[in-house]
Amino acid sequence: MAFNIEEGRYIILGSIDGLLATLGIIVGVSITEAQSSIVISAAFGGAIALAMTNGLGSYLAESTVMYGKLAETEKSLLRDLSDTYIESQTRKKIIKDSITHGGASFLGSLVPLAPYILSAGSLVVSIVLSLGSLVVLGIYSGFVSKTSYIVSVIKMVGLGALIIVTIQLLRLSHLTG
Amino acid sequence: MSQIKRLVLDVLKPHEPTMVEVASAIGDIKDVDGVNMSLYEVDQQTENVKITVEGSDINYDVVLRTIENLGAVVHSVDEIIAGKKIVEEEETLHDRG
Repeated sequence: MAFNIEEGRYIILGSIDGLLATLGIIVGVSITEAQSSIVISAAFGGAIALAMTNGLGSYLAESTVMYGKLAETEKSLLRDLSDTYIESQTRKKIIKDSITHGGASFLGSLVPLAPYILSAGSLVVSIVLSLGSLVVLGIYSGFVSKTSYIVSVIKMVGLGALIIVTIQLLRLSHLTG
Repeated sequence: MSQIKRLVLDVLKPHEPTMVEVASAIGDIKDVDGVNMSLYEVDQQTENVKITVEGSDINYDVVLRTIENLGAVVHSVDEIIAGKKIVEEEETLHDRG
């Protein structure tokens, strides 16, 4: 099976979005020492909204870029490319990218949410699971970009840690303010 | 109507689908025995290719439709051989000059 680098872009983008945004919501909501059901509601709502905006956003952005490229090709060929193989391939790519982006975002969101859905929920388990997923994502990123796996993992985990620390700092300022 | 045995076409195509995909699609047409495709010019958006199709009874309309459906344009029919047997072009005094 041929590996498509373009798909890798949306898998990474979507997963990071879903994972870290949902983790941010969970860390943020935990400030209020809310019940698990409230954390799940808030994070799940965020996950759905994020998956939809990522999927639909990709659809709109990809449509603009891909049909723009098609229009340039039409200009060079001096012909209309509607209802041709090339147009149907373009349409398929747009739909595939949108589903990949939205789907990866939703699956990524489920990682920090999983401890809350499966049991009483623990913020620490959620953070550990998320950082673990970022390690996997970093290895995948290194594989796609053919660069150092270690550097990719450090970048991914560093990004996750940065978000957690930022939200924790906001939490402190909220409590002291 | 006599049977078309060979078609040589000058075609302008986008980079995608690739030459492999185009040649393979033409090769799948009924009564086409073989396809030769050669690239002679590459532009930013397009490629100029020469496509030679040989077969026992080539349906020109189907070949044209297949090429156009792939997003390419037939610029000209550069050579065509039809009839019971393949007749090659003869060299004349004019060609030798």
